[in-house]
Amino acid sequence: MTALATKPRAGRKKLTGEREPRLLSVFKASPATYAVLLIVSAIFFVPFILMVSISLASDQTSAQNAFTVIPTEFEWRNFTEVFTATGLPVGRFVLNSVLIATLSAVGQVLSSSLVGYAFARLRAPGKGVMFMIVLATMMIPAQITMIPQFLLFKELGWVNTYLPLIIPNFFTNAFNVFLVRQFVSRISGELDEAAQMDGLGYFGIYRRIILPMMWPILTAIAIFTLTHAWGDFMGPLIYLNSEESMPLALGLQYMTGTSNEMQLPPWNLVMVGSIILTLPMIAIYYLGQKYLYEMNLQGGSAGVK
Amino acid sequence: MSKTIDEAPGAVRSARRAGRRRMSSRSKKEAFYFWLFISPWLIGFVGFLLGPMIASVYISFTEWDSFTPPEWVGLDNYVKALTGDPVFWKALGNTFYYALISVPLGLVIGVWLANLLNKRVRGRKLFRTFIYLPTLVPLVATAMVFKMVLAPSGPLNELLGWFGIEGPNWLLDPTWVKPALIVLSAWGAGGATVLLLSAMNGIPRELYEAAEIDGASAWRQFWSVTFPQITPVIFFNLIMGLIGSFQIFSQVYILTAGGPDNASQMMVPLLFREAFSFYHFGYASAVAWLLFIVIMAFTLIAFRTSRSWVFYEQEVR
Repeated sequence: MTALATKPRAGRKKLTGEREPRLLSVFKASPATYAVLLIVSAIFFVPFILMVSISLASDQTSAQNAFTVIPTEFEWRNFTEVFTATGLPVGRFVLNSVLIATLSAVGQVLSSSLVGYAFARLRAPGKGVMFMIVLATMMIPAQITMIPQFLLFKELGWVNTYLPLIIPNFFTNAFNVFLVRQFVSRISGELDEAAQMDGLGYFGIYRRIILPMMWPILTAIAIFTLTHAWGDFMGPLIYLNSEESMPLALGLQYMTGTSNEMQLPPWNLVMVGSIILTLPMIAIYYLGQKYLYEMNLQGGSAGVK
Repeated sequence: MSKTIDEAPGAVRSARRAGRRRMSSRSKKEAFYFWLFISPWLIGFVGFLLGPMIASVYISFTEWDSFTPPEWVGLDNYVKALTGDPVFWKALGNTFYYALISVPLGLVIGVWLANLLNKRVRGRKLFRTFIYLPTLVPLVATAMVFKMVLAPSGPLNELLGWFGIEGPNWLLDPTWVKPALIVLSAWGAGGATVLLLSAMNGIPRELYEAAEIDGASAWRQFWSVTFPQITPVIFFNLIMGLIGSFQIFSQVYILTAGGPDNASQMMVPLLFREAFSFYHFGYASAVAWLLFIVIMAFTLIAFRTSRSWVFYEQEVR
């Protein structure tokens, strides 16, 4: 991710006036380099083209499974039909996805900022031990807690509601706490000391001083939570079983499964659904790229070294 | 926080004593706020992690369908998994197969592409975008597309047909279903590529200049300069990749449901099926712990061996 923001050409600008350094042989791109890159990026891109061309295929082509990689038909109405012709509440699926993803992100941002701030700034006996626990919990795979959590949420009557997917986000997760803590640790403490002299309490310092400075890392956390919640399949699969409550990721699978054995799924409409599922992720990524870069500086390299 | 006070020594002492008392009440207050502020995490940790973990250990020693009271069976579930259930071993073997091929393959592709993109290539941004884009596609959408790509008369077999190869019936053929899942995972190699590329960008130019003066070939420069410098990133991706691929679920569930004949059954889909289709919560919990042990073991092995091949700058300077 970092690469998207680093430019190898920076050196050229620095050396204006001087002779440009000789291109070292390792950096010379041969025709073979281009050939390989062209072929590989074409291969990486084919599934996208396929997604688009199938989404524009007519119902007949779809039923016969006779797709072409390069689109030959342009049934734009598939993009409206997906909401009406599948017999499933696809509009509702999208709405559910938006709801779950947004509320999850809100929960993570609120909780991780407060907890991360406390770990970075406040002193208390036992803090070191707590932070060790934060780090240790990152290693526990979700499968361990999956079953007891399900039984707990079932006991609470939360099955077939969004609550099991949203509420845990308001209790943050170890990785985000770690990221915020690292980020805040690098902010100079002078401001909060001055604020403290002026009689601002700890919550005031968090709310007025630190929170406004935290937004790059919080944006990154929001993006990560959004993309994760938006694409999550297993959570909804465990907790949601009525069509009305399903998010799009689960609804799509449902769309391919509901047609009877003899009949193929409506592939063209499934691909429209896949595009609806994919586009927001690409948009969010490109809008938030520089914050992800920030995140990577904090977390990625810290994890690497 | 301590202040220099230019007053009489006695006053200093009393001020200091007062200060200490004030400090201690203030640090009590600070500690109170610390615990208050971390309480969301602490409650989540106890309620959603520690509690469930302890419950999971207990459940794994019982037979429980969640409708009738749990029945204590001791180690039976573990014994059943390790000796009595052929599907468990098959799922474990398949998961190893998948993880131990897809992760190194993804890294080889990643290093290879990053090395190409690290050259002075025109349109490098465009190439990088094409290669990175698939990692932004939600898994479900990826699975949907690959259901088509891997269809018997799908584009992949069409492509193989150009070279005169008759492609197999990927998802319905016991020998080809795992390679098919690996192909799908290779489509996500862009994530590692971009991280590796940024690591390569950070390699000091002088190292290559020195190597060039010494007359090292491009191949030699790759292995003696580039590769050692990016080993920390390779290591990071290896660990994350292994942990992730041991937990593969959605692709299997959507594309094959573990079939044909359990040829693509993996650990998490297996425990999911045991828990949520058959309500064998005890057995599923035991499988979860066995998976945890496997992941831990591999992570430890990776860390142990890393000392011999991962290169850290600090050791040299």
